[in-house]
Amino acid sequence: MVGKLFVRRRDARVEVRVSDEGRQLLRDIFVRVVAAERDPDHEWHAPLNGPINPSSDDDDPLATLKRQSDIASNAELSFMSVNEQFLNDGEAWAWLATLQVALRSTALAHGVLSDERLATCEGSVLDEIHTLQRLLYDLANCF
Amino acid sequence: MRGDTDSDVQVLTKRAWKVIVWNDPVTPMSVVVVVFRRIFGYSNNKCTHLMLTVHHEGRAVVWSGQRERAEEYCVKLQVAGLHSTVERDD
Repeated sequence: MVGKLFVRRRDARVEVRVSDEGRQLLRDIFVRVVAAERDPDHEWHAPLNGPINPSSDDDDPLATLKRQSDIASNAELSFMSVNEQFLNDGEAWAWLATLQVALRSTALAHGVLSDERLATCEGSVLDEIHTLQRLLYDLANCF
Repeated sequence: MRGDTDSDVQVLTKRAWKVIVWNDPVTPMSVVVVVFRRIFGYSNNKCTHLMLTVHHEGRAVVWSGQRERAEEYCVKLQVAGLHSTVERDD
């Protein structure tokens, strides 16, 4: 991946300059987030369901339902627009949110809770994290 | 007596709740700034200041007010992938 992966155009749309291979990677990430939200046994399920109010035994079920619904909606919108050359603002935001959810889920699933742990990560996990960070850097610069 | 009880209830319901964002080792700083700007509508300077507070101190209070709204903001931050919780402002 060379050059900017996302560019904000004058018409406010975000141009996606990701290769076919990169889009396949994005497709896999978006599908994983949808699957994790639905499957309690998925390695990303727990990271997606952290506490809202840690001092309470249970969070408000409406709040957790809203979170589940919004994460899934963003991931589904991202998946549906993964082949687009240009993203509108809503789609670009959905991509950013879903990629960030995937990044933190990857880190938490591998116990990456500190800089020290990040530095000793196995290569494949580190590669995954760096790829997601690179996508997020470029996409965040469009906002 | 009744007046005191009403007053106690009012104090309890009006007590502020804080929305906390926690540091993590992987989230790009620019993403945090974008998410704060998008969700709260804060200025770029304020978002950057809050992001740096999270980065250096491990956490930052990004909003405080009524419990329901605090939980709404917390959910929005979690949907955007940030580590966020609410707590009572004692």
